[in-house]
Amino acid sequence: MPKWIAIAGVLGLLASTTAHANEDQAETCVRAKVWDGYGQGWAIRTMTTASLTSGATKNYMVTLYAGNEYQIQACGDSNVRNLDLLLYDTDGRIVARDDSKSREPIFTFKPKKTTTFYVVVYGQQLVDASEPAGVGVAVSYR
Amino acid sequence: MNVLRPWMVAVLLVATACSGGPSSTPDQAPGATPEPAAQENPETPDLTKQELATDSESVTLVPSPVETQRALERAGIETQLSALISDRKLDVANVNPDNAAVRTGVVVADMLLTVKTSSKGQLLSQLDQVEAGMKQLDGGKDIQATLGDIKDRVQGDAVTRDELLKELDEISQAVIPELDFNGRDRIVPLIQAGSWLEGANLLAKAVEKADKPSAADGLLKQPAVVDYFLRYVKTEGQAKAPEAVTKKLESSLETLKGIASKDGSLTTEDIDTVSKTTDDVLALL
Repeated sequence: MPKWIAIAGVLGLLASTTAHANEDQAETCVRAKVWDGYGQGWAIRTMTTASLTSGATKNYMVTLYAGNEYQIQACGDSNVRNLDLLLYDTDGRIVARDDSKSREPIFTFKPKKTTTFYVVVYGQQLVDASEPAGVGVAVSYR
Repeated sequence: MNVLRPWMVAVLLVATACSGGPSSTPDQAPGATPEPAAQENPETPDLTKQELATDSESVTLVPSPVETQRALERAGIETQLSALISDRKLDVANVNPDNAAVRTGVVVADMLLTVKTSSKGQLLSQLDQVEAGMKQLDGGKDIQATLGDIKDRVQGDAVTRDELLKELDEISQAVIPELDFNGRDRIVPLIQAGSWLEGANLLAKAVEKADKPSAADGLLKQPAVVDYFLRYVKTEGQAKAPEAVTKKLESSLETLKGIASKDGSLTTEDIDTVSKTTDDVLALL
């Protein structure tokens, strides 16, 4: 896929300069899912990577439009056993979450009104709890 | 081995606890490496409303222009935002970084909204502007190379507009927000502010045209987004020399914040204010 090489290069460089855990692995995984989603009408809203220690969270503010449907997904690197994804409202209540024990959680959500939420990615269970894990998170819409 | 890791302690504890009775875990082959014991964490993280508010990244906060177009359609307004874009060519190279960032954001929004319908010449001109903006803002050689590659493929008709929309979406929503811009934190929010202001301006015009002010409730009430931009324009802008665009941007954002935070439905007058306020900022660019 030569047409994506340049973009992948930029993203790869970004990930490699900040990687503590295997963020490259997580980014490659979540990126592939985002591109696959275009075939089903999803488009990218945001995509980012981070390192996560056992039991820690990484939180992202997002404004979601009423009427649009959102797909929130993440990938953990090989040090992740169970990665959880949750969506909180601004009052701190959970409005949606994944129920899997997977390291590639995903769920969809349709907000009733346009407002701000928090996407929370949670390192519920790592393989080696003494080492951080790389995670990639993406929000798509359609 | 000098390092005693937590999982090793856990394995030792389990082994000690089970040593007097039958094992409840599968037998392991002699010499096999035991799987590390995973730390048990609660099913749900213990997060308070306050922690969420203070420990969250905001770079993901702002909707994209194309996402705004979709929400507009879902609200029953068929007007294409691309049809409302005014014909202008913004100089992104010979201005200070604040101006360059906001202007580049406007061009990115226009490019995303028109990529499927614009002529090759228009698209290449927009790509040239974004490339010049990235250069002016020290976005780095990789983003320049990426944009150069896209321009080559557009020039050679080697990419479809659908494919291009995906690539430009990713550049706008995933690549640019992660760029360092030589450590200048305000650049990404100002680029996003430019895109969002252009989107809000077009959206207000579309709502006015359709005469459906109530539809704007679900589209323009984004006080957290406005707050995010204001934080950068106000706090970090104070250290810089007074700048007409930055000042106008701040006063416009304050006006928009008032409307976005309003209780009850937006009125025709509110929509008109959004339209005029954003027009004023964009006219300065």
